[in-house]
Amino acid sequence: MNETALMTEDLSKSFGTQAAVSELNLRIQPGAVYGFLGRNGAGKTTTMRMLLGLVRPTKGSARVLGLDPTREMELMRILERVAFVPQRKQLYGWATPAELVRMNKAYFPRWSDDAAARLAQRLEIPMKMTFKKLSIGNQSKVALLLALAQGAEVLILDEPTAGLDPVMVDEILRTLIEDHVSQGRTIFVSSHHLGEVEQICDWVGILEEGRLLLESRLEEIRQEFRLVIASGEGLPTAQSTDVVSATTDGRFRRFVVAREAERFAADLRSQGAAILEISPIGLRELFLHLVRKEDACTPGNVGAKPAPVSSFS
Amino acid sequence: MYAWKCWRETRASFIFLLMLSTVPALLVTLGPGLKERNGWWHFDRSEYTHDPTLMVHLVSGMILTVLLLSPFLSAVFLGATSSGSEIEPGTIEYLWTRPRTRASVTWTHWGVCLAEMAMIAVVPTYLAATILGTLTRNWNMPLLMIAPWIMFIAGVPMLGLTTLMTALRRSAKGGLIYTAAVGSVYLILRQIVTVPLHLNLPTLFAGPLVWLVSNNQPYAAAFPWGSLGRAVFLAAAFPLAAQYLLKRTEV
Repeated sequence: MNETALMTEDLSKSFGTQAAVSELNLRIQPGAVYGFLGRNGAGKTTTMRMLLGLVRPTKGSARVLGLDPTREMELMRILERVAFVPQRKQLYGWATPAELVRMNKAYFPRWSDDAAARLAQRLEIPMKMTFKKLSIGNQSKVALLLALAQGAEVLILDEPTAGLDPVMVDEILRTLIEDHVSQGRTIFVSSHHLGEVEQICDWVGILEEGRLLLESRLEEIRQEFRLVIASGEGLPTAQSTDVVSATTDGRFRRFVVAREAERFAADLRSQGAAILEISPIGLRELFLHLVRKEDACTPGNVGAKPAPVSSFS
Repeated sequence: MYAWKCWRETRASFIFLLMLSTVPALLVTLGPGLKERNGWWHFDRSEYTHDPTLMVHLVSGMILTVLLLSPFLSAVFLGATSSGSEIEPGTIEYLWTRPRTRASVTWTHWGVCLAEMAMIAVVPTYLAATILGTLTRNWNMPLLMIAPWIMFIAGVPMLGLTTLMTALRRSAKGGLIYTAAVGSVYLILRQIVTVPLHLNLPTLFAGPLVWLVSNNQPYAAAFPWGSLGRAVFLAAAFPLAAQYLLKRTEV
């Protein structure tokens, strides 16, 4: 069956008058490792919760492995095939990790005891101490162990490495790559650690105020995306779909251009602008350009302050 | 496996509530035979054999009195551990991302709590009845035989109410407080309506329990079937409402 692993169509969620997610369109293919990025409150967790039936969409629809999470019976089939690590990794305080493993394995037909034992050893989890007595880092590790040993086709991880030391973060990322990415499983991960995202993801989506600002292959960002710094009068606020961000920095204007940066720069030069720099842009820099703005950055409006618009179509 | 988790979470409360019912029941059963002589306590069985029928009657009444609140207490404390109580501490995200419907989670918990409530009602009563029968050699104690089941029936609506209130308040503490508030408001309103108007309203669902206690007295009353019917209705209605609420709850 050639189904998308995760798909949303105009998925929206409002809490009262506050829009948490607005018309989100995602299409994540099986085997993709998708980094879902955004500032706090951007709507990442709400999106994940909608995919898992914890929150109902206000508008639009979602599909996980071709199934609709708003229908209870389909949701049960989703939950058998999807592992989730929530942002708040809270489990039963009275239970030891060993008891949690025993309890969890009963729910999942593809549960792997070998994987659980290996992870417990690799992540140095004290299996006989009650959950409430574990450190926050160890509690996170238990939540990860339960998800990773589940044998899921899709992993939905909401800030999985929060609270972990760098050694454990490295172990987790290696485990994800060795045990899951290599087996073609889909991973949908949100994280504020862009270095980790760059390490394991092949796709990224950047969300801001519930809207998807950018979705791209990481490889494409590395190879095609360029930062163009220009100075001059009447520089565009970007009508071109190739320009994903335009910000003003004193007398200079910084453009993040998705493709054909040289042609874009040539167009600016033809308008009398001086091009000061054309350089590759990293994920961190791109993220900051997109979300740290004076004005809100939305698709079609790159977030610049109102200014005379030149035609760059 | 969820049933095991429910048992594991309610185990401490169950043992506490069982002891809370069993110890007083045994004390009132053995109490008449305990005598003090020269500063020493000893057990005098002749107290039970002198007039066994009267002793069974008296001790049965005392057992029923000390166990009267037990079904309500166990229902409230066990009901407050239902899945709604997991919303506030955050474990609900784990629970609701397991491939089990919220309805099955609600009813599994309800079933485990029912079994525990039945044990809490049966064990102290039948243990006391066994001891009393052995001591008096009079096994004719029909009230004690049906008492646990009537206590159980009276407790089940409270279990459902606490389950519903816990789902409504999304926490165990909130569920307990709201259950107590609902119960208090109901009793106060009932008094406000019945006392000035000199009404004799039937009890909502605890009628069988009242009948049980009053039937031990010299006068007998007809069994309150209407109250039993309401108890059965509420026993089903409250958890159904909780199930509906939890199904629509977003976390």
